[in-house]
Amino acid sequence: MASNVANFILLLAIFSSFISNLFFFKKKYSHSIKFFNYSSLLVIFSFCLLVYFFCTSNFSISAVYENSHTLKPFFYKLAGTWGNHEGSLLLFVTIIAGFGSLFSYLFRKEEMYHFKSWVIFFQNNIYLIFLIFLISTSNPFDMIVPHPQEGLGLNPILQDPLLVLHPPFLYLGYVGFSLTLSLVLSGLVLRQLDNNWASIVWPWVMIAWVFLSIGICLGSIWAYYELGWGGYWFWDPVENASLMPWLAATALIHSLLVLKTKNQMRNWTSLLAILTFSFSLLGTFLVRSGVLNSVHAFANDPERGVFILIIIFVITLASFIIHSIYSSRTISIGNNFFFSKESFLNINNLFLLFFLFVVLIGTIYPIILSIFNETISIGPVYYNTILAPFVFIFLLAMSVGPLLKWSNKINLSYFGFLFVTFSISLCLSILIIILTNQNQLALFLGLLTSLVLILTIIFEFVKNKLFLKAYYYPRVLSHLGVGILLLSIFLNGFYSESKDFEIQLGENKEFNNLSLKFVNQDIYKINNYLEMKTDFEISKDNQIFTLKPSVRRYFQPVQITSETSIQPTILSNHYLAVNFPNQNENVLGARYYFNFFIHGIWLGMFLIVVGGMFSAFKKRN
Amino acid sequence: MKYFFIFLLIFCNIVFADSKEKRTNEITKNLKCLVCQGQSVYESNSDFAIDIKNFVKQEIVKNKTDEEIYEFLKDKYGQNIIFNPTFTLSNSALWIVPILFFVIGSILVFRRMSAK
Repeated sequence: MASNVANFILLLAIFSSFISNLFFFKKKYSHSIKFFNYSSLLVIFSFCLLVYFFCTSNFSISAVYENSHTLKPFFYKLAGTWGNHEGSLLLFVTIIAGFGSLFSYLFRKEEMYHFKSWVIFFQNNIYLIFLIFLISTSNPFDMIVPHPQEGLGLNPILQDPLLVLHPPFLYLGYVGFSLTLSLVLSGLVLRQLDNNWASIVWPWVMIAWVFLSIGICLGSIWAYYELGWGGYWFWDPVENASLMPWLAATALIHSLLVLKTKNQMRNWTSLLAILTFSFSLLGTFLVRSGVLNSVHAFANDPERGVFILIIIFVITLASFIIHSIYSSRTISIGNNFFFSKESFLNINNLFLLFFLFVVLIGTIYPIILSIFNETISIGPVYYNTILAPFVFIFLLAMSVGPLLKWSNKINLSYFGFLFVTFSISLCLSILIIILTNQNQLALFLGLLTSLVLILTIIFEFVKNKLFLKAYYYPRVLSHLGVGILLLSIFLNGFYSESKDFEIQLGENKEFNNLSLKFVNQDIYKINNYLEMKTDFEISKDNQIFTLKPSVRRYFQPVQITSETSIQPTILSNHYLAVNFPNQNENVLGARYYFNFFIHGIWLGMFLIVVGGMFSAFKKRN
Repeated sequence: MKYFFIFLLIFCNIVFADSKEKRTNEITKNLKCLVCQGQSVYESNSDFAIDIKNFVKQEIVKNKTDEEIYEFLKDKYGQNIIFNPTFTLSNSALWIVPILFFVIGSILVFRRMSAK
């Protein structure tokens, strides 16, 4: 019964979406928009129904049966809605519809009604493609007869408060770019890609970008404390899949800036917008198809993968065809001198796309080689080696670029000011290198360039009294965030330590200037898992604190997850993870990390996101 | 003088022991745990990873070089156990293509800038 109702609603949504297209072709635009909104409401309602089925553990619905369990806490029953392929795809479709409807509600320029109806038309068709894909290959509302009494359970590694929020934010980001694509295609078709168009698009791109950034940060923080590997970024293919659209979108934001102020780079900007959504789809494909071997690949079905690949191909190809038909052939000509804001924004785009390309190659190359029966693994070493030299130059360009003026005027007074920040950074980084006895070129260059960026922004902020001008907040905050993030990445990479050891209850271990004592061990059986809790007494520099790492064995399905224990200090984290002892042995394996400057990484991410928020909601002039 | 030598001996021992562990960590960080999903041997606690870790430790004690250890593991488990693939013809594209991309990109950008 429940299944039938939900399926009927989905069919009605498809029907309504078709009607919207029909009205559009008959040039009855207001009806077209209205029917899109009906369809969107229906899909939102069906998503609410799925949430309701999950919360009430209605196992006659296949998605609920496969991904839920009555023993699970309520919060995770709710999260189960999008912790699986079918449910998350419904969320995906719901967000496409939601963004379209929100746009149709908020965009009220009467003189651009024609433009609005085109945007809704494109959005409707992207939405329709995914809705048909949902119903034909991954319907969450399939019925199970007879009605099972118990579900199969949710992947325990996903049972974490942050992971409840991580996928929706990521999706809001990915899918948010569908609206950007619709806006670009409409702008192309109506030949309205100009500075006015850029300021309409701006908040929508920024909102999607902010959501995507938050999604990536949440994933990173979760990986840090949940996976027990002591790190925050692993160059895991699925992490890369979320980084690629982020890089494309960041490039898009910067080229939109040129379009907004100088009315240049139209073709390029529209191309980037198409790329951004294509990479968002590629991200979805990589996660959903099972071609990747990763912590995230929990929905393995090659057949669906092929479908998603076809969808990516169709949407991207169609967009490129529209682009090639409607883009203006004239190359926008400006007196672009090297030391101007435009040319540095060009350089920004070059670097960001290069980073994107490296990540892309690193992610798909093993897949391509596996077709030829050759297997290789690409890990952090590859990315760090190839990216680092470019990151240094990028950071320097990032310090100089924002100081320059539009067009061709070079303000020489800035160079003196840059010389000062450069000298201070040079002294500071040499001092750090000598004091800590870490003679490594990569560390030195990393410290130098990120300090130049941070100091330049701080000096500029104080000297030009930018705190009085809210207009500069987004750029200053985000760029400062990038500086702090990269500084912390380098400090963390070179000054962190780790130690693997085996320990018995009551035993004491000493490393460097730290002593570690295993004082207590308890085993509990809680709801749907067995948990071993341990207490370790750590003393360092006359400071004593207790770390309480634990490890869980889940029953439904069987899986072991590690609950790390972290003691933050001003500059670093003490991080401890334990494992279950081997059978009939009292010795358990543990791993201690001294994570230096990890707070800086979170702070940097936070500033980048806050800068984006300011930009999305600031008053446009 | 005697105490100095004893001190030196202990000191060397510490440094030496430390560097052994560091080498083990560095090598195992660069090995893929073949039975895990996207983890290195260093990060994993699976039986496979523990075996490999012990193997690497023993080989270092036997004064084998990093290359010898990698070579042995590569022969036994295949190229994909090593994260940083050695430079071969089939993966040279991994390094050349991005650099080529950057070079072509910079030419385009500079041509754009000098367009008048």
